[in-house]
Amino acid sequence: FQSLDDDCTLEEEDDGLIDEEDEIDQFNDDTFGAGAIDDWQEEHKRLAELDERDGLGAHPTAVHVRASVQHRFPAPFPERLSPNTLLNMANSPLCRGPFPPRVGPVLSQLQRAQLLNSQGPGPPLLAGAGFRPFFGGPPPPHGHRMGPPPPHGPPNHTPPIRHNTTHLHPQHRRMLTQRMQSRRDPYSNLMSQKEKEWVTKIQMMQLQSTDPYLDDYYYQNYYEKMEKRQEKERDSSRKEHTTKLITPQVAKVEHTYRPQFAGSLGKLTVSSVNNPRKMIDAVVTTRSDDEQEKREKQVWNKRRQVLYTVEKMFSLLLEVQDFEKRFVQTPEEDRDALLEQHKSNTEQLSNSLQDGDWEDRVSDEQCVMIMSVRKGKRLVARLLPFLPAAQAAAVVMAIARNLPAIAKKDKQDQQALCCLVEPVSAVIQSLSSSALTDLLQELQGGEGQLAAALQNKQFGVTLLFLILSEGERMQSSDPNCQLMDDNRTELVFSVTRELLGVPSSSLAPPLFTPPNLLSLFSRYVDRQRLELLQDKLISASSR
Amino acid sequence: MNYVPGTASLIDDIDKKHLVLLRDGRTLIGYLRSIDQFANLVFHQTVERIHVGKKFGDIPRGIFIVRGENVVLLGEMDVDKPCDTILQQVSIEEILEEQRLQQQAKQETEKVKLQVLKDRGLSVPKADNLDEY
Repeated sequence: FQSLDDDCTLEEEDDGLIDEEDEIDQFNDDTFGAGAIDDWQEEHKRLAELDERDGLGAHPTAVHVRASVQHRFPAPFPERLSPNTLLNMANSPLCRGPFPPRVGPVLSQLQRAQLLNSQGPGPPLLAGAGFRPFFGGPPPPHGHRMGPPPPHGPPNHTPPIRHNTTHLHPQHRRMLTQRMQSRRDPYSNLMSQKEKEWVTKIQMMQLQSTDPYLDDYYYQNYYEKMEKRQEKERDSSRKEHTTKLITPQVAKVEHTYRPQFAGSLGKLTVSSVNNPRKMIDAVVTTRSDDEQEKREKQVWNKRRQVLYTVEKMFSLLLEVQDFEKRFVQTPEEDRDALLEQHKSNTEQLSNSLQDGDWEDRVSDEQCVMIMSVRKGKRLVARLLPFLPAAQAAAVVMAIARNLPAIAKKDKQDQQALCCLVEPVSAVIQSLSSSALTDLLQELQGGEGQLAAALQNKQFGVTLLFLILSEGERMQSSDPNCQLMDDNRTELVFSVTRELLGVPSSSLAPPLFTPPNLLSLFSRYVDRQRLELLQDKLISASSR
Repeated sequence: MNYVPGTASLIDDIDKKHLVLLRDGRTLIGYLRSIDQFANLVFHQTVERIHVGKKFGDIPRGIFIVRGENVVLLGEMDVDKPCDTILQQVSIEEILEEQRLQQQAKQETEKVKLQVLKDRGLSVPKADNLDEY
């Protein structure tokens, strides 16, 4: 083979670079487009004959020469090399395939087509970088094709098959042309295959787990569906339904490094991830010269403590809530243990709210603290259904008692108290009549407390209405019940007085108005006042 | 080719043109070159696109590394599809000027709103710094 140096003039190279796109398009067309050649072997024979006769000038478009890199190295003007050229020069030694240099370009075209069509896991783009055909101007009249074609395809390379992509899905074709184009991208494949695999490996590791609570829902579902599909495909005579998920156990490899030095006495201490050695003696110094700073810090610490308590209670609560689900899944033997744990969890939860040693009394301070945080309110709302009745009642009483303080904090929390309505109403409905009266009393509390509670607080109004309506319900259902005692009557009177007193404009709309309120009020007040009350209720609920 | 059957991965998005929306509201367009397990992204030939009304402007930024936690949305861009004909591209200076005007207008309305609320005795609840929930 003659060297290409003398033959490669500047113009040729110049032409080659500029006409690349046209050449590529033409190549595309010839390989896949309308002008696609079906019978490669025939074509090859024809071309070979032609070649020997009059050089490749006759078919400048159909056959493309790829010069071997050695001949390319002493390029006359290095700066004219495109990045691709450089890449090719760098990659080419790696691209030498097992094929002898004698193999003609037709085979290389076939392999190119294969590579383009292949869906192999290997980096098609990587192959592309070293694979780009060179279109160096009109080929020399001697017509030598040289250079081993780079069959740098995936290892599962099938022997040359005919590929005709004219019948491919247009999407597929577009993908292929895109791949061709992206090979011109000099910055492609910055991420090597190894790196991609590394990231994939990490992702796959995260998917492996044996704990059904940690499993990736979509991943598990995907495989379950696949298994079901496979089962269906199999003969239906075998009816083994595997509903239990079989995941491979991840082997825990022992990572122990035991250093050994000659002449050392005893075991040498090794610091590792699991037992780190203290490197620095860092001492925390607080400069609390500013009084206000100190106070702020105290507030901050207290806040932190409340948040911490809330978090602990929440984790207990979540376990309690999950108990049923878990119970169904555990085998018979373990069920007792689970039940025991569940009991202790519920006990712990109820204890955390308690005040000292009194069974059913809820610590006010604790309650207010928890309720001052938005998450605390959500906690209490979720917790109430799980508490024993007496404790739940105590909690609701505490809320009613401290409503003004809680409500004030609630202003900042965008009315998170409203989440409490449902559980609280459930508790109220289960209260006895005396307890109900007590609750009403608590709500009233001191002077003007009720008025304050009624003003801006949706929750306050709703709570009041709930209590009243429950009382009314009790009364109407059981005419002999003791509700009509003085205590209660007095309370309701004062409540109605308050309601009348509060101007309608500042009465916040309750979350809902129980329908039997009017009948309740009708027992206690005269007609005039009743109408006033009615108007108030309507105007309040319509806002 | 699906590297991770049963779940999603960004591996197939590499070397393609993407549009990413960040948490601070910026929109970046560039070629995604590299990723890692936290979805930290490396963008090449990045352009920051600022939209004001119907106008937009591109500021070339070069190479960007985005920390994964700051990504809101990420999507591949179709290079073949023609650019939106409703949107009008303008120069960088113009779009920055437009943006400044927009910010100014927003600040004005905020101020007016605050004043009105104050007059009525209401206050916009400030996000309590201590309460993270």
